[in-house]
Amino acid sequence: MAEVTVRNIVKRYGSAQVIHGVNVDIADGEFVILVGPSGCGKSTLLRMIAGLEAISGGEISIGGRVVNDVLPKDRDIAMVFQNYALYPHKNVADNMGFSLKIKGRPKAEIDAKVKKAAEILDLGKLLDRFPKQLSGGQRQRVAMGRAIVRDPQVFLFDEPLSNLDAKLRVAMRVEIKELHQRLGTTIVYVTHDQIEAMTMADKIVVMRDGKVEQVGAPLDLYDNPGNVFVAGFIGSPAMNFIKGKIEAKNGRQVFVSDTGSVLPVEEGRAQSGQPVIYGIRPEHIDIAPDGLPATVSVLEPTGSETQIFARFGEDAIDAIVKDRLTVRPGEEVRLKIDPRRVHIFDRQSGARL
Amino acid sequence: MRANRPVFSILLWTLLSLLTLFPIYWLFVISVKPAVELFTTPSLLLETVYWKNYVKVLGDDTLRRYMFNSIVISSGNAVLVTVLAFMACYALSRFDLAGKENIFFWTITNRMAPAAVFLLPFFLLFTQVFVIGEWKLYDTRTGMILLYCTFNLPFAIWTLRPTIDAIPKELDEAATVDGATTWQVIREVIFPLARPGLAVTLILTWVFAWNEFLLAATLTSFNARTITTGLSEYVTTTGTEWGTMASIAIITLIPALLIFSIVQRHIVAGLTFGAVKE
Ligand SMILES: Nc1ncnc2c1ncn2[C@@H]1O[C@H](COP(=O)(O)OP(=O)(O)OP(=O)(O)O)[C@@H](O)[C@H]1O
Ligand SMILES: [Mg+2]
Repeated sequence: MAEVTVRNIVKRYGSAQVIHGVNVDIADGEFVILVGPSGCGKSTLLRMIAGLEAISGGEISIGGRVVNDVLPKDRDIAMVFQNYALYPHKNVADNMGFSLKIKGRPKAEIDAKVKKAAEILDLGKLLDRFPKQLSGGQRQRVAMGRAIVRDPQVFLFDEPLSNLDAKLRVAMRVEIKELHQRLGTTIVYVTHDQIEAMTMADKIVVMRDGKVEQVGAPLDLYDNPGNVFVAGFIGSPAMNFIKGKIEAKNGRQVFVSDTGSVLPVEEGRAQSGQPVIYGIRPEHIDIAPDGLPATVSVLEPTGSETQIFARFGEDAIDAIVKDRLTVRPGEEVRLKIDPRRVHIFDRQSGARL
Repeated sequence: MRANRPVFSILLWTLLSLLTLFPIYWLFVISVKPAVELFTTPSLLLETVYWKNYVKVLGDDTLRRYMFNSIVISSGNAVLVTVLAFMACYALSRFDLAGKENIFFWTITNRMAPAAVFLLPFFLLFTQVFVIGEWKLYDTRTGMILLYCTFNLPFAIWTLRPTIDAIPKELDEAATVDGATTWQVIREVIFPLARPGLAVTLILTWVFAWNEFLLAATLTSFNARTITTGLSEYVTTTGTEWGTMASIAIITLIPALLIFSIVQRHIVAGLTFGAVKE
């Protein structure tokens, strides 16, 4: 187990810079998830930690040791690849025991460790099979088994669940989380799925275009997103954003959208007259008789809840409520926004106000 | 329809096999007939078997030497070429080499001219340039092995490259992270997965050297002379010894068959299936 420190990391491919000075501190035993849209440099950063990609600038240390010039094989890390990368000519047991065999460990020790890892992952019956004889979920578990057997300082995962179907993904999510609680090894995990990030991480690093946008605990990011990008990325369905400005009306501050809708805000979040972006999560909008009238355009009931796509005048808004609704598209609902849950961002910089 | 299929395919395969094997049978028939019979009563039937041709050939020291040379040269060349091509393809496939696609294309250019073009330069190199005191590269087995490398290596690199390219790079990376050195990656991961391609390369380069005539005839005289070239010595001004030639040809087939049967087992398709999720 070890902490991982990423200091001012830069990555260039030729003249193209894809990572621009990233800093991340990962504590010993922490489960950290790098999340961000496709192409933001998550995999590149992970591969630099693994040593599979050269570092163009900055410093990475694992367990207090700077590893910039340390070969992957000497970094004492284990990696699980998106496509599993199992050795097709080796059976499950040999796949899992490969790293120990390379190190020249005695056969008995290898067998014992493989058996133990197989038990943890429920692979006991599959040890003699070859990768092509396994289902996607089983291959995924073998890939994790291969990492566990190593007992490394750090686990690195690059979108390990993205090739699984939705149901299996949820099951594996739980399994990985349990595994982490059981082993307590530091994990750096890459995904573009914010649900995975929210449900599993101790700490989330939100990236965009090769930069870190915000670092924080899942609920912290949810409650206090540092800017419009993070606010929109974390949470599903995404937060509603409406452009407009803060104005004083009858001695109280309100938000007036560019198209003229008036929405409630808390006092003192921004100066009157300031152009802002108004953000409210769909789940923080309720239906109430004293709400603001909005026109329903589409309803999506999922059974447990109902998602409402509606319009406040010209502005589209998205709400989620627990109740089953009887309204039809085109009819009016009254949506009530809790001003305490409203996020206000600077319109220019996108920063939270 | 289904019931007919086995019958139909058995018939088809029998026919194709007969078609392929017929020339060899004919060769065999010729090899076991005395010379007079060949021209007086041409027949494809095996009435009497006359082993004298074989006795003569196998008892001949010179022919035995030619045979040995052929085996050493072909096998030495095939192994050397396959090993070098394997390493070259690994580098071409995995490393960021400046202009590697140009290098790759450039390797094949010496196969674009007919071999005869190279005869004179090679002859001069072998007799005038690669000379150390008394020793010359001319008429040595080493010389022939190296010579065939210049022709087989480009070809082998082109045959093997797709095999190595098809092995997912993530497997190298997984092995590297698992603690393997580059050599261990090659030995433990790449080599086993490239085996079918390596086997094909080995066979094709072996056959090329085994059958090659023109260069061997020019660059050897006796010490390193190969059996293919030796065969032509039976075409003389006083006539052609068909029976002897046929028996040599039959004997020549045996090492080839052996090589094929040994190597063929490794040509199993679909070995990389299941490595990564496509
Ligand atoms: N070998 C390369 N040469 C040039 N640019 C590259 C190379 N590899 C990656 N990039 C660029 O680096 C950026 C980051 O890529 P990376 O694979 O890290 O993205 P990612 O965040 O993992 O995305 P995804 O979610 O799609 O996997 C991308 O813009 C990509 O085009
Ligand atoms: Mg990626």
